Amino acid sequence: MTRVVPKLKALLREPMVQFLAAGAGLFLLFQWGGPPAGEPGRIVVSASQIEHLTVGFTRMRQRPPTESELGGLIDDHVREEIAAREARRLGLDRDDTLIRRRLRQKLEFLVEDDGQTASPSDAELQAWLDAHPDAFRRDPDVAFRHVLVSRARRGRAAEAEAQALLTSLTALGPGADLSGLGDPLRLLPDEVELTPRRDVAALFGETFADRVLGLPPGRWAGPVESGYGVHLVLVTQRTPGRLPALDAVREQVVRDVLGARRAQRLEAMYQRLLERHLVIVERPIPPRAARAATR
Amino acid sequence: MNGLRIALAATLVLGPGMAALAQDAGTLDKDKAARSAAKPAYSPYVGRNFPTRPLFGDTHLHTSFSFDAGAFGARLTPRDAYRFARGEEIDASSGQKAKLSRPLDFLVVADHSDNMGFFPDLLAGKPELLADPTGRRWHDMIHSGKGAEAAIEIIVAFSQGKFPKALIYAPGTSAYRSAWQETIKAAEAYNDAGRFTALIGYEWTSNTGGNNLHRNVIFRGNGTQAGLVEPFTTFPPAGSDNPVDLWKWMAATAEKTGSEVLAIAHNGNLSNGLMFPTVEAFGKKLDRQYVETRARWERLYEVTQTKGDGESHPVLSPNDEFAAFEKWDKGNLDGSVAKTRDMLEFEYARSALKNGLRLEAQLGTNPYKFGLIGSSDAHTGLAAMEEENFFGKTTPQEPSAERMTKTFFANAKAGVTVMDWEVSSSGYAAVWATENTREAIFDAMKRRETYATTGPRMVVRFFGGWDFERSDANNRLPAAIGYTKGVPMGGELSPALQGKAPTFLVAALKDPIGANLDRIQIVKGWVDKSGAVQEKVHDVVWANADTRKPGANGKVPPVGTTVDLANATWTNTIGAPELIMTWTDPDFDPALRAFYYARVLEIPTPRWTAYDAKRFGVKPLPGTTMMLQERAYTSPIWYSPAK
Repeated sequence: MTRVVPKLKALLREPMVQFLAAGAGLFLLFQWGGPPAGEPGRIVVSASQIEHLTVGFTRMRQRPPTESELGGLIDDHVREEIAAREARRLGLDRDDTLIRRRLRQKLEFLVEDDGQTASPSDAELQAWLDAHPDAFRRDPDVAFRHVLVSRARRGRAAEAEAQALLTSLTALGPGADLSGLGDPLRLLPDEVELTPRRDVAALFGETFADRVLGLPPGRWAGPVESGYGVHLVLVTQRTPGRLPALDAVREQVVRDVLGARRAQRLEAMYQRLLERHLVIVERPIPPRAARAATR
Repeated sequence: MNGLRIALAATLVLGPGMAALAQDAGTLDKDKAARSAAKPAYSPYVGRNFPTRPLFGDTHLHTSFSFDAGAFGARLTPRDAYRFARGEEIDASSGQKAKLSRPLDFLVVADHSDNMGFFPDLLAGKPELLADPTGRRWHDMIHSGKGAEAAIEIIVAFSQGKFPKALIYAPGTSAYRSAWQETIKAAEAYNDAGRFTALIGYEWTSNTGGNNLHRNVIFRGNGTQAGLVEPFTTFPPAGSDNPVDLWKWMAATAEKTGSEVLAIAHNGNLSNGLMFPTVEAFGKKLDRQYVETRARWERLYEVTQTKGDGESHPVLSPNDEFAAFEKWDKGNLDGSVAKTRDMLEFEYARSALKNGLRLEAQLGTNPYKFGLIGSSDAHTGLAAMEEENFFGKTTPQEPSAERMTKTFFANAKAGVTVMDWEVSSSGYAAVWATENTREAIFDAMKRRETYATTGPRMVVRFFGGWDFERSDANNRLPAAIGYTKGVPMGGELSPALQGKAPTFLVAALKDPIGANLDRIQIVKGWVDKSGAVQEKVHDVVWANADTRKPGANGKVPPVGTTVDLANATWTNTIGAPELIMTWTDPDFDPALRAFYYARVLEIPTPRWTAYDAKRFGVKPLPGTTMMLQERAYTSPIWYSPAK
């Protein structure tokens, strides 16, 4: 033993060994409890930390904290620090679903944000717009008059009544006086000015909106079904849904392009991380297979 | 929206088509018309364009940004929530596809403020930060794919007190990126004036002792304004659990940002008697300042949502056969303290509206003069509150065969248990905004021209005035006559004219893809001569009136049911697609304060539990509610005696 000790001492005096030991020590330290704030057992609330607490308070309250409030913030910060250290020492941060999900969220925030820096070029935006026309197409507009034949009132006779009414309306023409005809609903306008499709759908229902948009303007048509009954409809004006120019929808296209980039970055991050790990999934053997294996 | 506006001015200078109006106004000759056109109109609504349909939205939705939602498994972000609300099909956190029957018009993603806090920023390349050498190095690390390493360095530097001063103080930049900033960005990205509105907001989650005093805070303004402040939290000393401090924050915020804000409380039913105090709050006696401040900031109340309906309670309204609807009345929010009867008076909207009248007499201002809306409080990122399309309150409650037989939470000590089936598929906010923009929606909320629905999108109009007549119910444009002769829901009646009683015009149109209507009622609340609060529910108009007459007890019999539970279907062979009527208060006393609001009931339809039972082939637990009568509650119209 006596000959080993001097050799050990000599070894320990080697700078390289010391360096490796320090590195290993730090590695173990970091693995074990995360970066320490000062030496263990000593908590320093630095000037910049106090500034941070002050800034946070001020942004919330629109005024700086009073002396006693700041004291309270610092006390709470210290307690939080002590508690967090103790909790980590006890391993409470391991296997905690909430903490894991929050860590994941923070990591995803970091990676997602990388995409914010470079603004997409006009060419990139136009390409996206061209590839996703349905997402940006402006609603067609339609203006129409209509007469309702109520299912609630007429029951099964509604269709027949509607057909008869259609004949009368066609005879009366586009300018027909609608008063006294059909079963008007007070909260449903019978003359609708030029309106986007989605607003017609909101009031009358999607099926009605779709049908009406397909009607040729200038003549009475129907019956068109809605949740209220059957309608005779005269479309007076129609403007088709158009694909807007880039400038009209620039903000929305930028949003979607950046959104796609964000998703790509997230996926790339997961792929990168996965490459660094060997994943073993232990699955229980289904009973049938287990029995087969023992035959 | 534009095409559906009707210019009121045009209808008043009468044309041949307006036969109904001419009838009411008596004979109109050229001179009379010229004279009335020349004078400025008495009614403030003349010349105002008004919309033909209300806007429907959710003011209370949580995403994965809320700690509890994330803990439950929600993975959707605010951006996902906006896309869903706009009508897109998306993947729910449980992995299944989800889509609304039709888009909503607006949404507030209101995640819990306590969890929107700070953590080291990803430097967004701002020049002030890049000027600092450490900032530059971190920036470069981040942009070369070493963002995670940079973050660790940042955290270490910060906790060791070595964070570069320049990076904390850089003006106009926050060194700390937070969920709040991301929330704001998402709202800005999806706000599309005229088509879909994303309002900025958060939930202040005061919950001390498990007693719910939550409020949703909504900004009128834009991201730049909202970004100037941080949401108010509940942890002292920066935050607080006392609403009085939230109101202080709101005043300071409005001042600092130039954006108006409002607060909407909810779930009085889970506050164990604390939501609507009448004597003292947080150890301080109610005084003038309290009632004035509360009235200033809390213009609406979220009366119906997934954690129960808060209109009234059978104990408080024993004569109201519809008051037992979707009640969560067993205890407080976490089930730690059971409910006792004496708490109920201070938990429900109708009771608070009544007590507010008394407090007005006492202290000069009514602190409970709120309008009504519904919202979801879903923690799934999905504002999906239709019975046949219900995606639960939390991610484990997204559609599955298990979701109606499990326990939601239980506290054995307090004896409080709430089952998953008790969660309501409710509600939405309906707002009579003049256009689909942040400003118009906020302003409609501020003037309380709103109503709550438990999910369906019926159109409801409610006007109060002194001159409505029976013939007004036949008018082609009830809103035109409503705004001309009176005030809309949320308004205040002008002082009584000698010998007159308040008259009301109320109308409701069924949801175009929904169920027929059963009836419309008007609920009156008042303070009587002895100073006690009173209430009465009046049946005003109902469907199938030829076969349904009020009974001996004065009540209109039930409308019946067409619900086929086994198949989870119903038919619109009972009820009516639209109801409209005028009504005069038969018991009016001009010396007494009062309010009136309309309640609209649909015919019975299957509840989400019935759809689940059919689709998953699951047998419901005994006692599970399987059908319901959906409803809407309008904001009240108030009457105060002349001083």
